[in-house]
Amino acid sequence: MKLIFEYEEETTEHVPDVDDNKERERTGKEAAAEDITIELPKDLMRKELPLPNVSEITVVRHYTNISRMNFGVDLGFYPLGSCTMKYNPKINEDMASLDGFKDLHPLSHESCIQGSLQLMWELEQDLTKITGMDAFSLQPAAGAQGELLGVMIAKAYFKQKNEKRKKIIIPDSAHGTNAATATMCKFETITIPSDSRGNMDIYKFKEVLEDDVALVMLTNPNTLGLFEENILEISDLAHTNGTLMYCDGANMNALFGITRPTDQGFDMIHLNLHKSFSTPHGGGGPGAGVLGVKSFLAEYLPLPRIIKEQDNKFFLDYTKQKSVGKVKYSYGNFGMLVRAYCYIKSCGTNIRKVSEHAILNANYLLNLLKDDYELPYNRRCTHEFVLSSRKFGEKSALNIAKRLLDYGFHPPTIYFPLIVREALMIEPTETESKETLDRFAAALKSIANEIKENPEIVKGAPYTKLVGRLDEVAAARKPNLRWIAFSQSDGKEDSEKKLYVKK
Amino acid sequence: MNENIRFTKEHEWIVIKEGIAVIGISDFAQSQLGDIVSIELPKVGSIFRRMQTMAIIDSVKASSDIYCVMSGEIVEVNEELLEHPEWINQSPYELGWIVKLKPSNMEEFHNLMTNEQYNKFIGETEENREKDQSGG
Amino acid sequence: MNYSPITENDKEEMLKRIGVRSINDLIMDLKPSLNEKLDLSKPMSELELVEHLRKLSQKNKIMKYFIGAGAYNHYIPSAVNHLLMRGEFLTGYTPYQAEMNQGTLHTMYEFQSFICLLTGMDIANASLYEGSSALAEAVLLCSSYNGRNCIFIKDGLNPQYLEVLKTYCEGADLKIVNEIDNNTACVIVQNPDFYGSIENLQYVAEQAHKVGALFITCVVEPTSLAILEPPGNYGADIVVGEGQSFGIPVNFGGPYLGFMAVKSFLLKKIPGRICGMTTDSKGNKGFVLTFQAREQHIRRERATSNITTNVALMAIASTIYLALMGRKGLINVAKLSYSRAHLLQNKLKSIGFEALNKKPFYNEFYMKAPSGSLENISSNLLKNGILGGLDLDEDKILICCTELNTVQDIESYVSILKETK
Repeated sequence: MKLIFEYEEETTEHVPDVDDNKERERTGKEAAAEDITIELPKDLMRKELPLPNVSEITVVRHYTNISRMNFGVDLGFYPLGSCTMKYNPKINEDMASLDGFKDLHPLSHESCIQGSLQLMWELEQDLTKITGMDAFSLQPAAGAQGELLGVMIAKAYFKQKNEKRKKIIIPDSAHGTNAATATMCKFETITIPSDSRGNMDIYKFKEVLEDDVALVMLTNPNTLGLFEENILEISDLAHTNGTLMYCDGANMNALFGITRPTDQGFDMIHLNLHKSFSTPHGGGGPGAGVLGVKSFLAEYLPLPRIIKEQDNKFFLDYTKQKSVGKVKYSYGNFGMLVRAYCYIKSCGTNIRKVSEHAILNANYLLNLLKDDYELPYNRRCTHEFVLSSRKFGEKSALNIAKRLLDYGFHPPTIYFPLIVREALMIEPTETESKETLDRFAAALKSIANEIKENPEIVKGAPYTKLVGRLDEVAAARKPNLRWIAFSQSDGKEDSEKKLYVKK
Repeated sequence: MNENIRFTKEHEWIVIKEGIAVIGISDFAQSQLGDIVSIELPKVGSIFRRMQTMAIIDSVKASSDIYCVMSGEIVEVNEELLEHPEWINQSPYELGWIVKLKPSNMEEFHNLMTNEQYNKFIGETEENREKDQSGG
Repeated sequence: MNYSPITENDKEEMLKRIGVRSINDLIMDLKPSLNEKLDLSKPMSELELVEHLRKLSQKNKIMKYFIGAGAYNHYIPSAVNHLLMRGEFLTGYTPYQAEMNQGTLHTMYEFQSFICLLTGMDIANASLYEGSSALAEAVLLCSSYNGRNCIFIKDGLNPQYLEVLKTYCEGADLKIVNEIDNNTACVIVQNPDFYGSIENLQYVAEQAHKVGALFITCVVEPTSLAILEPPGNYGADIVVGEGQSFGIPVNFGGPYLGFMAVKSFLLKKIPGRICGMTTDSKGNKGFVLTFQAREQHIRRERATSNITTNVALMAIASTIYLALMGRKGLINVAKLSYSRAHLLQNKLKSIGFEALNKKPFYNEFYMKAPSGSLENISSNLLKNGILGGLDLDEDKILICCTELNTVQDIESYVSILKETK
């Protein structure tokens, strides 16, 4: 496929041509009153704009053909563990695109935004019911930002209490974001190993739980798809120690209506609306990473807060109490909030079924596969599970993933969590049929046989994609990260192309 | 192989030449890391205590700390590795040296493993490998 | 409405295969268990949902906007959304399996190229959440690069951006200071600034570089880049900003499109995804995510940022937008925005408003109302379906025009003001 920059010059016009307007004016036809020309000092003006000029049909064909080189939930089974690739209902796209939502300026007068405020307020209410938390902020743009906000709140909370707590406890099965977030807020990370049942090792935990620990960050169910069996003991110990309990809610879709994070002792949780509440993943965002907290932390949430008045009017409250401040422009990824809101309203009181079916599908698939692949932690899983292909040797998970492409499936998450060698992390979600799960299991069994009988086939995969296996080493050693305009470089494209100049 | 070479459990090697310690990573380490694509080097003049992180090596899907084997001051770094990280794979003991350091405590050298001891050690820890990863 | 295709029959067969009698047997470990049903509303069918959401959306009132201040109302060609809604773009995820996600990667590469061309920089990432947090990420980058912890911000930064920056600085133990010295990690300037004013910032770049600080230019209205000198040409080390103007609706504040572009010496420090071109096993061109070892899923507590999910779909939207508008279209957008804003300012001057911008401006400007109060003015405009601008204080207003503010709109704006006493 060509790059958009490589097409021949064509004509295109989506907005009025300024020069044409002036022409009309000079000839006296339809005076356009566009008599203002740009009068800026030379040193403010750009000399050239090396962008392509192509017709609409060229653009439409270009991106339609490019899109066909992609895979998505709409095309087939996408069991990417931890990412919750469930079906994204089409109606939710339409609802988010209603003019009254998408064309609303964030700085509009309060009287003009009542519908949006009501939607956000109701969404906050529903999320508090689902998680048990007392207050939500819808501001964070993604899970990682929700997490960042949570850690900032913990920092502000202890600062306010005048307690010097510098450490955050994280299990070794945690998402990489947890540790990275701790660092962004200048906390020190203590990593706790997992025990033989996949729980955080409670003995090691007790050893390091000293009075300078601010936060315990847990994903529950964890990234192995296992429910933390000692959760109540952990949260009791933490609370007795004055430590806060933070839940990475990436796996909340396993728990709807079954158990609430607050009942497990958590003080804060972020939810990934694009995972649990089915907003589309868009090739890597946008997401929304709302944060819920218990009441004693509510005044630390970002401003503004949405308040409902007696007469069903809503307003934005900017009264600063202990708020840590804003984490993004405006109020949140509103378009994603609309989609999540629609999803929750569709499920309503039946939302427990979502988690039940996710758990049913995962356990069923686990049962179909556990004889052909290793199950490192032999327990009943929740909404996802992790297999190991270590018996097939080094790099086998990567090879299996690439071979699955030839069978028409998106591969599972591989090599995560880090504590399982040759990990295949599989999350079927509740929106897949039994027939799909059967076909996927058959493919994985068939690949297991291929590895035994004809291993070279698997090592060379994929064969059916438009591109073969890509060279990631060359991409990193000789980076080519953008197209270079010829006119920009006076024909000296070779020197220009060498982008990565070390200084 | 230089007879005076010493190794750490973290797979760094070290050779003393005229009072200056030359440090790199072992052949075993580079083979476990896979294709190395970049390295972050310390500044000349920085002072490290033993076992502090002094450099970071990245392969396509892993990132590994390189520890300072002995306490001391960095006197030279192998800047060529910035352009040629693959040298660490191709020539870990020669072209792939990472830093030269002026040790502040020579005692530390004698606690390190000899080539023979190191080979025995990696035989035992064959299971203990770097893992590739990709998240979801 | 239920999106699970599992029938009762399926369920029984599946439970039998698992070897349990009921779903309750599968969830025994999930404790403490909740005994009552969640107090949510009755499930809605698609039809009921549509009715409910229509009503909600109609409680909002869309105005003729003469307001920007961080969110700009530009024309979006119809083809953008048609292409964006293709399931191939919409329903995939981060392209970890490059062979299966060449579409997203190809577009990312084009996006990075567009951003570099517009900003005059060497390397761009594949997006960040939105402008203000992207600026905060840039500051963290600088502090990690030169090990300094003081931040200097030139007047004229969007106040919401400033608030976000303060939040991040508090978390990361960084200080916002009033002078540039040897402790300064970076110098930040928004251009055009919050009040719409533009200037050549070469002198600021020199000031910053003299003390070893990095220079960040923040661009919140990126259509300005179609006609203005790219920041890379006046010494920016990092250009960071908001791409919403490029084909993304104002959306009541999000999702938007943060972008970051850097000079090549900062390549290894830039946060977020980066797409690179490489070759496949047959020697054909292809794309992969590259330099992943910078990122949190590998570097964990040593990563400079925790960003994971960014706004890939918004980057695709703006790439398609830029392709559709083309060089000519984008320049027209910029010229129309510029001329309409200047037309309105002239007309307002003629009825007694005082122009406050001391420097040239692009498509935003601020003025002082003649009567000493904006109250009647703003409410009268609102009554006529016009959001006249952002009231900065009692008598100062920040006004914005784009190609969507027609000459007729401008005339009715002014005539309403003439009638307001």
